[in-house]
Amino acid sequence: MDISSRFAFGELREHKAIYAIIIVVIALTMTSFMLENAYINYMMQVVNETSKNIVADVAVTNVDCDVRDLYGTETTIEDAGRVAQRIEKMLPGYKASVRVTAQGTYGLGSSGEAADGCTLQGIDPEKDVRADMLRDSIVKGRFFEPDDPVMKGHTPLYIKINGPGNLPDLIYGSGQKLLGEEEPYPVIVGAAAAEIHPSIIKVGNVIDVYVSMAARGTSYAGVRVKIIGLYESGTPTVDAMIWFMHADSLRELKGYGNITGKEWIIPGVGAFRGFRPIDVDRNIGDVVLVSAPQPAYTLDPIGYSEKVRDAVQEVVPDMKTFSWHDLLVFAAGSMQDVVTILLWGSMGVTLLLCGAAIKYVMDSIIIRKTREIGSLKAFGARDRVIFKIFVYQGLFIGIASGVLGVLISLMVMQIINWYGFSVQFIAGTQLDISFVVNWFTLLVAFLIPIVLSIIAASIPAKKASMLPPVEALRKGELGM
Amino acid sequence: MPTESSPSPIIEIVNVTKIYEEYESRVTALKNVSLTINSGEFVAIVGTSGCGKSTLLHCMGLLDRPTSGKIYIEGKDTEQITGKEIAAFRGKRMGFVFQNYNLIPRLTVLENTMLPGLIAGKGVGQLKEKALKLLREVGISHRAHHKGVHLSGGEQQRVAIARALINDPIIVLADEPTGALDSKSSTEIMELLENLNENKGVTIVFVSHDVEIARYGKRRVELKDGRIVTDRKVEKKQQEKVE
Repeated sequence: MDISSRFAFGELREHKAIYAIIIVVIALTMTSFMLENAYINYMMQVVNETSKNIVADVAVTNVDCDVRDLYGTETTIEDAGRVAQRIEKMLPGYKASVRVTAQGTYGLGSSGEAADGCTLQGIDPEKDVRADMLRDSIVKGRFFEPDDPVMKGHTPLYIKINGPGNLPDLIYGSGQKLLGEEEPYPVIVGAAAAEIHPSIIKVGNVIDVYVSMAARGTSYAGVRVKIIGLYESGTPTVDAMIWFMHADSLRELKGYGNITGKEWIIPGVGAFRGFRPIDVDRNIGDVVLVSAPQPAYTLDPIGYSEKVRDAVQEVVPDMKTFSWHDLLVFAAGSMQDVVTILLWGSMGVTLLLCGAAIKYVMDSIIIRKTREIGSLKAFGARDRVIFKIFVYQGLFIGIASGVLGVLISLMVMQIINWYGFSVQFIAGTQLDISFVVNWFTLLVAFLIPIVLSIIAASIPAKKASMLPPVEALRKGELGM
Repeated sequence: MPTESSPSPIIEIVNVTKIYEEYESRVTALKNVSLTINSGEFVAIVGTSGCGKSTLLHCMGLLDRPTSGKIYIEGKDTEQITGKEIAAFRGKRMGFVFQNYNLIPRLTVLENTMLPGLIAGKGVGQLKEKALKLLREVGISHRAHHKGVHLSGGEQQRVAIARALINDPIIVLADEPTGALDSKSSTEIMELLENLNENKGVTIVFVSHDVEIARYGKRRVELKDGRIVTDRKVEKKQQEKVE
């Protein structure tokens, strides 16, 4: 231990009461920062995971689409499969897959009057970039299996009714209503939907969904679906909305392929085709989802998502690209950004006050200890030795505050996790309060107090080190 | 140690002037002072309050820089050496004794004594041994583990003298070493310094406004209005008058 650290510890012991108060205040500030940050991280993770079910890292749509079209309105890309291939070829390490989307409505009870809506996401269970995540988030029932009846005979009828006058033609693309005994399409639903509508949403139940879609002139279809599994991604309200079907099922419903089968014309009604009339074209889809290789470590996930989006945009300049963060901003505005700014702001103000407190405490110590500083200089202490005496104190205060702050916050998180707090969320769902501590939060919570204390201490330390020895000795004598 | 026949200069002060300027006031503390301190000397710098004797001592101890003039320590021009070297000179080649002892209150007598050695980067074990020896020599070893502040003025000044000797300095500079002591303690301290000079050959320069104390010096430099008015060696007889 050198002479500076000996004196620094001596000073810390001598002024332990005031330094302890400063350490506790900084530690509590960091605790509050870390708890809020870890909770925001958790929320971000939850929302990211949910939004990534729709967007992955980047979603590619037609140029005239808006971000809301990702939820299942019309976005048909005729050569979606080739777009996905091009992205994978041009951007090594990137994965791309085709999604088919639609909006659905389903009845809620025997009266048949109440209805709820959902977004249908048609995925390829083998290739979809989020398939594994969905498979892992199943909490009841199962994921899609190869022998699921995703297309087999599910569109036995294809009726085209010529619209009278200028009204559009109506193509009734699924015969579920007409042939009720057919095996329904398998569907995976958010567990939250089962909590909201427990009487009809449960694994094994078969329900009718009215799917609206404008692709290929089809306006809507009555579809019979069987709930094969429930998933839980973290945000109950979003889970309740998003249902997953096989992409080919939706292709079939939307008429993405060649119309085949025998055709009958019913005069005054329209064309009528029956039995497997559509050979689905897997090159057609509504959205191309792209998953980028994740960096081992990034301090700026939003910046990274923008970088990934720009990289994809370069490959498909004639299309529109959205990052998961674009979807977040669309869904929640910049609320999370505002909360983050406020969080950093409030922490900054408190820490500045703590820094000022450290500075003024040390200033007052220097005034009282001027003669001591002069004596040390007379005994051969260089300016650097005096400087270090005060900087070491700052370093100790910083380390103690950082460690204490991190320990308190980890303890509080453990208690909350152990107790299992949850809050009432939208539509009668419960949202767990949980935390995600990442290395960045931990590093910030530990390093900020150290940097702050060293900066705050270095101002009086510099002043003390620059004191001319004779002045220090004289002033000290006057102070006696 | 240099012999009496060939005294080697430790400190040479050549035409040193020191002016303090604060706001509009300008005080000339030293005017063209030249002085040489030789090895083994026991020098008293005397004069009335404000005559510049402490300023002269501070300049000698490199605690203050002169406005003009040169100071040579062991032949080295102190204007030409770096702040690091000046600090090293102060710490390793000089020992300081102050009027108010300047012991660090939270340190023990032993730790206070070791302090300049620790600053010089010496090992604690070696320093402890030496500090205890010095404390025995100044007659205060029985209080080695007491806090400095719990000692009487005379005892504290003994500790300060032991501290000044810890790095085997070439010179000890004492600024009013008895200024805060009663007459009995003052006599004890001056006898201690005298003894160190006579028996151990330590070069000592002390400042005092007290004529009786100044008589301990074997060489007396008198300052008046920032100038040296007398600089003479004192006969043993004159010294004995103090007794």
